[in-house]
Amino acid sequence: MDSARRLFLGQIARISAGAAFVPFAGVANAAINEQPPRRGGDPTKRYAMLIDLRRCIGCQACTVSCHIENEAPLGKFRTIVSQYEVESVETGELAQFMLPRLCNHCDNPPCVPVCPVQATYQREDGIVVVDSDRCVGCAYCVQACPYDARFINERTQTADKCTFCAHRLEAGLLPACVESCVGGARIIGDLNDPNSQISKMIEAHRDELMVLQPEKNTRPHVFYLGMDERFVDRPQAVPGLWDVRGEEGQELGYEFAEH
Amino acid sequence: MNSLSIELIAPRYGIAWYPWAVQYFFLIALSYGALWLTVPGLIFGSERWKPTARVALLAAMSTAVVAPVSLLADLHQPLRFWHFYAYPTPWSWMSLGSLFLPLYVGLVVVLAWLVWREPLKAWANAPGLQGTVGRIAPLGGWKSPHWLIVLTGLAAIVMSLAVMLYTGAEVAVLKGRPLWHTEYLPAMFLLTGVIGAAGLVLVLNRFSGLRYLTGGNQMLAVILGTTVLAGLAAAGWFAQGLMLNEGSVAAALESVRLNPEWRGVAFWAAGAGVLLFLSAGLMVIIRPLRGFRWIVGLLALHVAWMFRWTVLMDVQTVARNSAGYNDYSISLGSQGLLGIVGTFGLWLAVVLIINLFVPWRAALGGHAEVPEISGIEGEPSYG
Repeated sequence: MDSARRLFLGQIARISAGAAFVPFAGVANAAINEQPPRRGGDPTKRYAMLIDLRRCIGCQACTVSCHIENEAPLGKFRTIVSQYEVESVETGELAQFMLPRLCNHCDNPPCVPVCPVQATYQREDGIVVVDSDRCVGCAYCVQACPYDARFINERTQTADKCTFCAHRLEAGLLPACVESCVGGARIIGDLNDPNSQISKMIEAHRDELMVLQPEKNTRPHVFYLGMDERFVDRPQAVPGLWDVRGEEGQELGYEFAEH
Repeated sequence: MNSLSIELIAPRYGIAWYPWAVQYFFLIALSYGALWLTVPGLIFGSERWKPTARVALLAAMSTAVVAPVSLLADLHQPLRFWHFYAYPTPWSWMSLGSLFLPLYVGLVVVLAWLVWREPLKAWANAPGLQGTVGRIAPLGGWKSPHWLIVLTGLAAIVMSLAVMLYTGAEVAVLKGRPLWHTEYLPAMFLLTGVIGAAGLVLVLNRFSGLRYLTGGNQMLAVILGTTVLAGLAAAGWFAQGLMLNEGSVAAALESVRLNPEWRGVAFWAAGAGVLLFLSAGLMVIIRPLRGFRWIVGLLALHVAWMFRWTVLMDVQTVARNSAGYNDYSISLGSQGLLGIVGTFGLWLAVVLIINLFVPWRAALGGHAEVPEISGIEGEPSYG
């Protein structure tokens, strides 16, 4: 990616992170593919997450604890830390870049209006959830999410995703990934409470925060501090781990291949 | 500062829509395309188009009945299909589709019944099951009124437009997959659908033994014209995308540049389109080649199917969050090859059952018997 485009993307990433704080007007009557009204949850709250990448060491404790807490099937993840090795062309210096990914609980979630049976919806506290008793497993929401945050759980045969551990939040606990983060990189909280840690940190770092794929206008509510513009969109990287092929060009070594 | 990156850890994102989806989009497009091919003969009563209408009605009806089966199979919870009707969701294209589709299928079935019950009545005295069907299926001896056929046909066409619109819009609205997010996609679904439908009529025309000469010529003309339109639409998509730096074209170019498999697909698609145009043109010009028009039909079906396979399956292998491409190899089971073969098998069964119990060749003033192929040496066979 050339530097002008990178700069441009970085700019939108910053601007969009700011725009996310303008309250999204409640849409009463949704037109086709527009957001339906939110339902359920605490209307006084707006949950969001801030990930301080300066504190992330890529230990995957969040990945593992989420997996255990939410019983995702093997090979599917509600959250995971993408890891990149970045080499400077000029100096040959190497650096690691860690990027925890999860559902962005967007203010304009593209997965919600597509659902044909209203099984996936946004609660009034901003958390996007799936009613797995109603979900028909059409996987339309999986296609709609630009962040690959959703998958079909082969055990329930319905859509599955991060819920910010809503069941734990309601019990007064932190989400599993936040609880287990050794560096304290993940901060969850209520944006509507000006005294919450997340509100204070957002206030302090407003100009440095970025969100993923801001040009999609999804208004993500997972904010990254210490983010690099090069990873805001699909990374221009060599897919090192998966590019292990046999003599016939077939990929080798993937344990959870299903289809 | 320039840098090189290697992705060390990223999850593997599998595909979420299986080949069932390709089968559905293929069959439903063949169905509405074939329905439109019946219009001049069936609705406007053009004598020259009646032979085409006879074959196209069989094509439209048989594919309309099978298409929803593969759609249902693509749901991970197929027995929950009733949720679509228990929780109507007017802001979701898929939910709207769940209303359009049964109406469309129902109207096409009623239309075929209205048209076929006339020749069916002639079989009332036939022995065995055929006679039973011939006595019961027409539901009385009344004559199908022409106005009712026209009215049902028009209603079916309105619903076919709704189905065409929703199948295209449903995919094109998804910003999450940049390759799908273009208004040219519904247009290409439509045009390749008509190409495939004309191809199916050519194939059925040959293998039903009818071998209508004029009907075959009409289908070649439809394929020629629609291929040109599809070429223009593809060129328009490409040109507009280059000028406006539109996401869909940029994503396609990136895939073709970085991935040899996508390069292969691009050459294949362009090659198949050009080959279809040239072979259809050749069949029109060189008359003795007429016997091989069904091969053009198969090629047209291939173009329509491959377009859907590339759009729906191959695009899912383009990673969105991670680097590179996901490997997808088709499985042998019902989520893969068996599903594809099974859908086509079901369609063939439907055609054979209709062929066994319905004298569809005699509809719209045709003859029930398969025309004898002349044994006279040197007489041309109009395949």
